Amino acid sequence: MKHILHEAFRSPKFVTGFVIFMAILALVVFYPLFVTDHPLAIIGQGTFFPPGIYVSVYDTTNAPQYTMMLPEAEGNRIGAKLGDVEREAMREWLIDFGIPRAEIDIDDTAKLMTLWDAYYDPALRFQGMTSARQKYFARLDASLEGLLVMEPRVIAVPNTETGAFEASQSIELTDFVNVNEVANVRVLPLGTDNFGRDMLTQLVSAIGTSLQIGLVAGTVATLIGLTLGLMAGYIGGLVDDVIMFFTNLFTAIPGIVLLILISYSIGQENRGAVTVAVVIGVTSWVWTTRAVRAQVISLRNRDHVNLSKLSGHSIFHIIFADILPYILSYVVMAFILQISSGILAEAGLSILGLGPKTTDVPTLGLMMRWAMIYSAHILNKWWAFFPVIVAIALISFSLNLMNTGLDQVFNPALRE
Amino acid sequence: MKKSIFRVLSVLIAVVMFAGALAACKPAEVDPAEVAAALPREETLYYAGLQWGSVVGWNPYSSNNNNALAVAQGANARIVMFETPYMYNMIDGKQYPLLADGDYTWNDAMTELTFTLKDAAKWSDGTKVTAEDVAYTFDTHIKYETSTGVGVADYVEDVVAVDEKTVTVKAKLNDAGQAVNPLVVSAYVSDNYVIQKAWTETLEERVAGDAEAFKADPGDDAIGSGPYMPFYDDDTKVVLIRNDKYWGKDKSMWGMLPAPKYLAHTIYADNNAGFLALKAGEVDISQQFNSNVQDLWLVDNLPISTYLDDAPYGLTASLPTAYFNLKSFGLDNVAVRKAIAMAVDYDTIIANAMTNQSPTFNQVPRSVMNPTDGEQALYDHAAVADLQWAGNDVEGANKLLDDAGIVDTDGDGYRDIDGTKLSYNAVCPNGWSDWQAAIEIVAAAGEKIGIEITTYFPEWSVYQTVFTDGNQEEYDIFMVWSNGAGPTNPWGRVRQLMSSDFAGTTGNWNGNWGGYVNPRIDEIIAEIPQTTDQAKLVELYTEATEIYLTDVPSFTLMYRPDQFYTVNESVWTDFPAATDGRNIPPMNLADGYGVAGLYYLTLVGD
Amino acid sequence: MKGYRKYFGAKLIWFGVTLVAAFMLNFILPRLMPGDPVAVITQRVTQGMTSQTGVQKVYEEYANLFGTTKPMHEQFILYMGNMLKGDLGTSFSQYPRPVSDIIRSSVWWTVSLQFPAIIVGWLLGNLLGALAAYLKKGWDKVLMPVSIFVSNLPAFGSAIILLVIFGVQLSLLPTSGGYGFDLIPNFSFRFIWSVFVHYQLPFWSIVLISIGGQAIGMRSMAIYELNADYVKYARFLGIKDRKIIGYVFRNAMLPQITGLALSIGTMVGGALVAETIFSYPGLGSTIFSAVMGQDYPLISATTLIITLMVLFATFAIEILYGFIDPRIKAAQTEQ
Repeated sequence: MKHILHEAFRSPKFVTGFVIFMAILALVVFYPLFVTDHPLAIIGQGTFFPPGIYVSVYDTTNAPQYTMMLPEAEGNRIGAKLGDVEREAMREWLIDFGIPRAEIDIDDTAKLMTLWDAYYDPALRFQGMTSARQKYFARLDASLEGLLVMEPRVIAVPNTETGAFEASQSIELTDFVNVNEVANVRVLPLGTDNFGRDMLTQLVSAIGTSLQIGLVAGTVATLIGLTLGLMAGYIGGLVDDVIMFFTNLFTAIPGIVLLILISYSIGQENRGAVTVAVVIGVTSWVWTTRAVRAQVISLRNRDHVNLSKLSGHSIFHIIFADILPYILSYVVMAFILQISSGILAEAGLSILGLGPKTTDVPTLGLMMRWAMIYSAHILNKWWAFFPVIVAIALISFSLNLMNTGLDQVFNPALRE
Repeated sequence: MKKSIFRVLSVLIAVVMFAGALAACKPAEVDPAEVAAALPREETLYYAGLQWGSVVGWNPYSSNNNNALAVAQGANARIVMFETPYMYNMIDGKQYPLLADGDYTWNDAMTELTFTLKDAAKWSDGTKVTAEDVAYTFDTHIKYETSTGVGVADYVEDVVAVDEKTVTVKAKLNDAGQAVNPLVVSAYVSDNYVIQKAWTETLEERVAGDAEAFKADPGDDAIGSGPYMPFYDDDTKVVLIRNDKYWGKDKSMWGMLPAPKYLAHTIYADNNAGFLALKAGEVDISQQFNSNVQDLWLVDNLPISTYLDDAPYGLTASLPTAYFNLKSFGLDNVAVRKAIAMAVDYDTIIANAMTNQSPTFNQVPRSVMNPTDGEQALYDHAAVADLQWAGNDVEGANKLLDDAGIVDTDGDGYRDIDGTKLSYNAVCPNGWSDWQAAIEIVAAAGEKIGIEITTYFPEWSVYQTVFTDGNQEEYDIFMVWSNGAGPTNPWGRVRQLMSSDFAGTTGNWNGNWGGYVNPRIDEIIAEIPQTTDQAKLVELYTEATEIYLTDVPSFTLMYRPDQFYTVNESVWTDFPAATDGRNIPPMNLADGYGVAGLYYLTLVGD
Repeated sequence: MKGYRKYFGAKLIWFGVTLVAAFMLNFILPRLMPGDPVAVITQRVTQGMTSQTGVQKVYEEYANLFGTTKPMHEQFILYMGNMLKGDLGTSFSQYPRPVSDIIRSSVWWTVSLQFPAIIVGWLLGNLLGALAAYLKKGWDKVLMPVSIFVSNLPAFGSAIILLVIFGVQLSLLPTSGGYGFDLIPNFSFRFIWSVFVHYQLPFWSIVLISIGGQAIGMRSMAIYELNADYVKYARFLGIKDRKIIGYVFRNAMLPQITGLALSIGTMVGGALVAETIFSYPGLGSTIFSAVMGQDYPLISATTLIITLMVLFATFAIEILYGFIDPRIKAAQTEQ
């Protein structure tokens, strides 16, 4: 055993897989120590806030203010509202309106704005202009409001007696606050999802759940597969025929269809994460059984087994002492593969809406499902689905790397 | 051996790779001779969100056509292939004449409704639409017990052809000699198609009078009077083609033909497929809930718009509602019901679940009315202002419960009544995503006021067998849709929300799923259809609203459009919009008065 | 040969028994699902109906029509009878459309999507695996981890990534359906081109994930064979390298062929995710909507097709192996 581990850690593939897997595991274990929010807490009113640092607008007005004269400030301010696309669009409108092209200088902001303010009329819709375009110009016009104004903004509070607004604070164009000094700042490295939940917190929690699902599904599938495979292979005869009959039956009705039917049948209320894991395990033992059986058949007539038989050892003794150790390496590898396919199966089921029920715990599949329902992939909200796919791929990649590494340890012929 | 394998292999791979690379380029110019098998883009209006799954039939007597583009009767009947005498306009609540000539008239006793048909009205085979067709349609519905027939049998006695062009609809009378419900009678003329007598007789002959076969017949040969006829359908699309001899081009109706030569609906597998197609300009008009629809023009800068430019983006007309099961322990207590309803954060429901495609309850305070102006004018806003709640009022809800003596007696964090913990499930069908998201937020509210609420999303097929059973005790708080806009609403909605007729019934698809009983509301429901005086109507509706907001048998979670409406102006433009002053409702350019939009469409650039 | 006939006979009997059992399971399983499909149809049909008795009436009509009120065994006998006549029944969810019609219109999409995708994935995978085994070092170092990573992308993951990149971002390829939204099936170049273009994303999403697995398998087998004694002996005898490699790969290919046969057998089930995401009008989408619509006859029929395909594939492999590999035959006929 020690030797195998020693060998395994000399295989670069195994080590890489192991490191990735441990890193994921560490994230799952340690992240909740630092961020204690409930992973399913709804923090945002609105959907899909992009990743970034969110600073309380209210609290910035209370934070200490610094004055900085940055030469690029005005350019940035105007550029944020009035980019090249907007300038081109304004020229297009003005030309349609009848201003000669030569008179429009889109690089001179002040001149352009003067022209625009003088002629723009939201009610006009020129020949060939769609109403969507007309609305675009109206929005553009509204966003340009006060763009060139250099006066400070005034914050007003209503007088409690008269209800009239009274100026309380004036914000200069050169005022800055230090983010560190604002009372409320929230970092959302992966933004929020469609429910307004913190994606990263949810993702970490979901990875944990999905690992558990994989573990349970893998254990169930491997145990069933191993037991049936041993029985079929060693006992043979009628037992073999019957087991192979069920194996063929389960092969013939494909796992995914069976999985869908069972998941649908047990109903959403009963579909906790563990139940789904068990269902996945129960429907995916077939390949392990076949493989174990094949291995056992080839072992059955080896000399040491025959010797054991002659010495009158019980079946259990023979199986545990003379057969199991020889196929153990294979079983371990099958187990690792079952874990990763369990995680994939949960994700697949959830995508189809047949995964674990939603409010309990987040799983990778459920996160994917909600992102799809709210069309995150179509609306380019990459943070709502891409990290989930990467997480699934990484988990299963690391497991498979370890598996390949072990394969090379057990079968020296495969080594580079 | 090896060589040949690898040779075959490499050739195969090369072919596939090359093909893949080719596919990535734009297709070459296409020979015009080959276009015949394609629908010219500039003559076709593409839909999404109406038709799911393949078309089953075209038989207007059947309710199993799964043919949403062509056959859909009801308050806003879809009138592109078959037509109704009148068209309902949900914006102003009026019925506009279509096959009928001018408005209908009631007799003084309000028991008979009479209208004449337009002289120009013709079937697609060129024969005239006659009063006999209208009468025979009704008789057939009754004779074969179609869903329409069964639905109106309690309210409409008969439809008679007075002469070739004049039709009288006779109401069923109650013991007092009044019409049972004049509202349903007047809705009859805009809800139901007129079907050709000659074709109906052909169909009867074909099935030899067998009612089952009659209703199951696909009716591929059905003859309509509308501007479009069937052209093509398979598993991936359904296409209608314009009847260029359509009678409506007569001066007495539209005076022209509708703009698109073809109406086509690609059958998408799911919402996302339809959404992608809308984005790609393959869909002109989409009746789908497209979340964050504003991103299409704000972020992607596409020529896409909705009926309104800003949230809520559309005309909302129905009220998805959560019902309290009054048989559940503690929910018979009005304080518990009202506290839950007050604590729910509706703003988050609307912002997150509906992505702002619903007005908030600050904008349209809750009542039994939908947000349309017509219905909002039907109750006295000031009189019920104190009863309306906008939600997220945890403090108020807690106080209400404390005052009612409902407190946590055993210290487990949840309130008790007589030592029993208040614990409920909140339920809606699985996969109904915006509802599911809303129900999650309802459950979160319970936590804040010491009432345990867990969510549960059964499959629709299970859900609908449970909630329609008036004696069920499985679901405590569960969501159901509401009536939208139509000639019988808001009366129909009041009845749906509170009528004791439905309380405790099984197979209940009609309303009052929580089992609420109040004799006074039943009187109001009986009185409204008989009332014509506007002031009296307002008085009755105000009282109904008061009762609804006081007793809280259910609570509305959001407003929702009858039909979602997003248009892409890549090919067609001049779609109905709120600001165009044409008074055309955003109803698919096909439903009720919404069909008028087809006559205003123009091509972009023309 | 007598032993072989016995082996063949035994296989055939078990094959028959499995087929019958699977046939029964295919019938029973969908009908064990909770919920009431007739109530769903009733709801669809009676929308807007205000009369209580009317709704009840419609419900009873449909319940009688579909025979859902009869006890299960009677339904089964009816089903068997119809099946023997080649009648797969009538779909619930698309009533009155016959199940055979629905399947006929979807099965070819799946077959023509999956069959080439599996073959191409298999060929590419084996080629890469063989190259990795033969060239070792550079190729192997880069190729193996990449193969493993790609093959570990979840099926929907690779489909969505392809969809987002080529469909949404670059707008190069259509993302849904079997052919252009504006076309009507015909034998024109434009239509065929459209089918071809729509084919690309689902096709590559399947190929992409099957390459990795095949490559890994082929590499292992090839390395194993390359180190076998007969190779050393052949080298010792001075047989040309090319010739040896030919033998090596032919031997390594054998187990891979088993995998190919099986994945062809299971292709319908495997098509589900890709078909759902790209809205491809195939059998996978049909199964899924049948389950969601509780369309018993359609579920039974589609699962039956899968069952038959898988059973024939496994049977063919076992029979073939009986011929090819005497060891297995020996093991089988031993008792």
